[in-house]
This record gives sequence, C-alpha cells and structure tokens, in this order.
Amino acid sequence: MGLIKEVPIYLEKFPGGGILTTSLDYVLSQSRASSIWYLLFGTACCAIELMATGASRYDFDRLGMIFRASPRQSDLIIAAGTITKKMAPRLRLLYDQMAEPRYVIAMGGCTIKGGPFYYDSYSVEKGIDHIIPVDVYIPGCPPRPESLLEGCLTLQKKVKKQKLADWS
Amino acid sequence: MTTTKALHTEEFLVNMGPHHPSTHGVCRFLLTMDGEVVVKAVPYIGYLHRALEKICENRTYPQCLPILDRFEYCTSMSCEYAFCLATEKLAGIQAPERAEYLRVIMLELNRIASHLIWFGTTSLDLGAITPFLYGFREREDILDLFEMTCGQRLTYNYIRIGGVSRDVPPEFIPKAKEFLDKFPAKIEDYVKLLNENPIWMIRNQNVGILPREMALSYGVSGPVLRASGIKFDIRKDDPYSIYDRFDFNIPTGKVGDCYDRYLLRIEEMRQSSRIVRQALEQLPSGEIKTKVSANFKPPKGEVYSRIENSRGEMGIYIQSPGDSKKPLRVKMRGGSYNHLQVMPEIVKGGKIADLVAVMASMDIIMPEVDR
Amino acid sequence: MDRTELTKYLLDRFSDKLQLLDTGKAEPVFILKAENLLEFCRTIKADDTLAIDFLCNIAAVDTGDLFEIVYSVASTKNRIRFDFKITMPYENAEIDSIQEFWAGANWHEREVWELFGINIRNHGNLTRFLLPDDWNQGFPMRKNWDAPDFVRMPEL
Repeated sequence: MGLIKEVPIYLEKFPGGGILTTSLDYVLSQSRASSIWYLLFGTACCAIELMATGASRYDFDRLGMIFRASPRQSDLIIAAGTITKKMAPRLRLLYDQMAEPRYVIAMGGCTIKGGPFYYDSYSVEKGIDHIIPVDVYIPGCPPRPESLLEGCLTLQKKVKKQKLADWS
Repeated sequence: MTTTKALHTEEFLVNMGPHHPSTHGVCRFLLTMDGEVVVKAVPYIGYLHRALEKICENRTYPQCLPILDRFEYCTSMSCEYAFCLATEKLAGIQAPERAEYLRVIMLELNRIASHLIWFGTTSLDLGAITPFLYGFREREDILDLFEMTCGQRLTYNYIRIGGVSRDVPPEFIPKAKEFLDKFPAKIEDYVKLLNENPIWMIRNQNVGILPREMALSYGVSGPVLRASGIKFDIRKDDPYSIYDRFDFNIPTGKVGDCYDRYLLRIEEMRQSSRIVRQALEQLPSGEIKTKVSANFKPPKGEVYSRIENSRGEMGIYIQSPGDSKKPLRVKMRGGSYNHLQVMPEIVKGGKIADLVAVMASMDIIMPEVDR
Repeated sequence: MDRTELTKYLLDRFSDKLQLLDTGKAEPVFILKAENLLEFCRTIKADDTLAIDFLCNIAAVDTGDLFEIVYSVASTKNRIRFDFKITMPYENAEIDSIQEFWAGANWHEREVWELFGINIRNHGNLTRFLLPDDWNQGFPMRKNWDAPDFVRMPEL
C-alpha cells in the first residue's frame, strides 16, 4: 500500500501528471465505493429490516454489498438495533477490530439518541456516536428498506469524495 | 507391533458470542469443550435488556402498546394482542365482532410471517442460503398486506384496546386471497428442497432431543412442547378471542428432535393459512373499535392472560392500582425465556455444530428473553 | 372444571392457608402465607384433580408499601389456570425457591432477586444476568430507585 502513495509524488513531476493522479483517485474511490462489505451485526428490530433489505425484494448485492461474519473482513458496520450498556464495550471491540478504511452507519432511532427507550430506561445507551464515530445516520423505527438503501448510497457518495491524500 | 499411549487431554473454554452470526440476537455461551464435544454450556444474557417493564410503569395504557410492539418484534401483533386481552379482561371491555375477526386474521398472518423468518434464519445457520431468499420473498407479500392496512412493516401499533385502529381497505381481501392461493405451492417448494435432503436430515434428526418430562418441568411451550409429544395449544385448550369458531388441526411430534420441530412448524404454516381463509369468508361488517375513554382507568385488580404465540406461550401480567391511568406493574413472559433455560440440558454431550442447530430449531429470539 | 368449581375446591382443600382475592376477573387469585409455600406447591403438583405441571410465570411487584410475588400456574391435562401470591414487607424480604417442583422457576427467581432485591433461599445460583456485570446502582425495579442518568418522561 505504501507504493501507491508514492506514485502521485513521482507522477506530478511529469507534464500532465496531475491528470493521472486525479484519475487514479477517481478509479480507486469508485472501486472502493462499489464493493463495501458489511458486518452482519444486528441486535433488535432493525436487524430484521436489515435482513429483509439483503433478501429477495430489496437486494443489497446489486450495490456490491454482501455480509461478512467477521469484523476483520468487513468495511462497514451497520449498527442495527438498540445498544445497551452491557453491549457497548463489545461494539467498541468489534469496531476496533476492523481494518481501515472503515465506516459506520447508525440505523434506526435507537442508535441515534436512544429511540423510544430514551425515557425511563435504566440500561439503554442513548445513542452510539459517543462510542464509535458515525458516518451516516438513518432515522426511522424501523427505517424502511428504501431508507436503508438511501443511507448506503449516501455513504457511497461520501466514499467517492475521498482522496488518496486522506488515506493514512 | 506398536502400542499407542493414551493422549493427555484437557477441557478448554470457548466463548461463543455475543456477536456471532448464528445467535439469533445477542446471546453469549461459555462452552466447556472436550475436543469437539460440549461438556457444559452456560448462557449469558442481558445484552438486549432495555427495561421495557420499567418503561411501561410510566406510560398510560394506550401508550404502552408501541413499547409492547418491540417486546417480540417478529410477531408484534401477538404482543399487542396479549396486552389488549389482559387490559380488556381487567376493565370488562368487549371488542366488536368485526374487530375480533380482523384481529385473528392479523395474528395468523403474523404467525406465518414469523415462521418464515424462522425458516430463513434456520436454513442460513445450517448453511443453506436459498431457503432464506425464498422465505423472505413470501414474507414480503404478507408485509404488503400489513402495510396496506396500517402503514408499517414491522412494529404495527394496530391492535388497540377495544378493537383495531383502522379498517382494512377494499383491496385487502382479494390480495389476501391471492396470497393464500399461491402459498401452498410455495410451501411444497420448501418441502421439496429440505425434507428429504440428506444433509438436512443428518443435521437435524436425533439432535437436541427434549424429553417430555423435562419439557413440562422447564415450562417449555408452543411448537417445542408439541414436538416432544404433548398436545397442548392454548388456542384449543384455553381458548381466547374467537378461535373456537374455526376448524384447524394441532400437529404433534413424536421424538422431540430438531427435525420434528421443523416439520411441525411447516405444518403450522399450513394450518394458519386455513384459519385465515375461514376468517376471510366469515368476516362480518360492523364497528371496528369499542369506544374507550381518553382517561382510561381500569378498576383495581390484576390479571395474567396468555396467548399462543409462534414461539410459545406469551403471557402478560398487569396489576392496576385502580385510580390511575398508568399500570402499577406489567410483567411480560415470552416462550424463549424458558427455551433458553432448557438449552444447556439438551446440548450436553453433543457437538458444537449441534448447538447451533438446536438454537435455531427452538426459535429463540433474544428480546423475548431479555426484554 | 370452571372458575367457581376450582375456587371451591381450592378453598375447601386449603382452607386455613389460602384466602381468595375477590377480583371478579377470569381466573381466581389467592393469597398464601409465605411459610406454606413449599407444602402448597407439593400438594397441588401431586393432587390428581389439579395436576399442576406447568409454571407459567413468577412476577414480583412493588406496590409502594409491600413486595408481592405472584405465581401463575396451569395444568396441561385438566385445563386449569390460577394465580397465587405472597406478600412481604420491604425489610429482609425472603422467599423459598420452588425449583424442586418446576425447574423453570430458576431463571424467574434469579430475575426477581436481581431486579428487586428479594432474597431466594436454596436457589444455588443467585448471580447477575440481565444487568451489566459491574452494576452497582442497586435494584432498579423498585419504586424508590433513581440514578443520575435515568430520565423520566415528563407529564404532558
């Protein structure tokens, strides 16, 4: 991976080298956005809608997304479902095990701010963005599969805007 | 001639979960293994404990219904119905005829949808991906029917105290009949795919046998109890609503293994279609909700009412203080709570892959356990 | 047997130990004294007319003055269902375990201990299972429980 970061430095010395660098940016970020593999992580009701989105009618595979069982093999966590105080350290552990670049989608009201369990619950973590950094928020209880697909397309737009210089 | 010395072996601990593709929610098992054989399995739960009971103590009775929806989200209609049944018993309210028929139609359609989720996830756990896609394809048709009626696909808030919230639109009945006409052929597809499949039979037959006495003692209910040979279904033996007007069979198993439980649930889907067809034919016209006052305060008392859910007996215990809009205590009891309690007894001595098969066939879902 | 026959049978059989709570609702609810619990459970399980082989539910209630533990039992053979409950004051709240009769009571009693703080004698495994392992904020289902991050829904 280190070699590809050296390429722009050498390319730009040539006349017209800048064009090659931006094209390289474009190709790499397009290919990255079209093949985001997500971790099969679901705790509560939103997990059923996640499964339904991955199934026959609304297909995730047409966006290039398939599920992986292990966090080491995935690029994306779709946190679907309520996260309780007991589960929060495990979510952090899963996030830490993912290789960069990694993204997080917070699906459903519970992951945004606690959802219907904000009031009167003693064990619900009110939102996950103080545990792991979130890229896209999808509201709903549960969000429709179309909303989830829209959220994934928004994430793809975000990934396509990334440049080589951002890669660490 | 060489002699082999006995190998030195020792048991080791394996942690399975809480995040694991086949633990139906978030459940953790700490397994003591002797090679590939499970010596002891201890379940750790509580990763989805959202304090639903504490929340219900600070909500009025109608406000508790969306919370009850999320108790067992695969069969939301049943949870709402169990709560409404308990409240109506407490306050002496009777829902009108049309509402009762609509409730039965929704409950049985929800049972079919829940069994389709079970069918999909069980096959996925045991390695078969096609039944998952088939099952969810049929389920989408049922969710279309629900969406047409109440606007939601998963957590409906449709069954209310005193009746239902909305009447079905005119295109509901033809579309439901169309679904019921093509559904038996789809069930035959599933049966052809899996019933005589050698891999399916080896992984499910004689695996996770639950003896009758242990089942009763642990409070196991629903399809798991019937697969162990005890013919007990709350719809027939302790009837509620208008189930005594419909004609349906209660399938029972013989051995009590995973294969029996699988066959039983496939048969239950057929019987539920029969009930929906009869209810659609007998659907009367009329009111859909008894008027319940905005300051609904049921009298002082307590009630425990139970219904036959797709995962077992679902019971709601409500205690009402008498002069308040909010209940004093709501306790929810789901079938999976007792099923998970009996699991360590029946996976002892089996392989770790059999634990996955048993957990899938008992149809355990964590929100019922943790609430 | 229906509700009136069941009530009559139970009150005749256990006249000094049971008391009927007149709720007028579908299934009868009885009050039992705590020291008679094990004897009562043994008898209803062994009795042929009742043959109670299924424990549906154990619920603990904090009424503001007392603790109550409500047991809901049923019979799969004889189509019977009734509830009985035991009341106790807040201090030194204790009850015996009934898991020797119905093994399913194990987790129900563990939950009663964990969320309400009622001690269960002879249980054998009173450890945390629903709340996080490092929970040190008391017994959350009690009415007088509070915590800094516990937000109550405001009255509208």
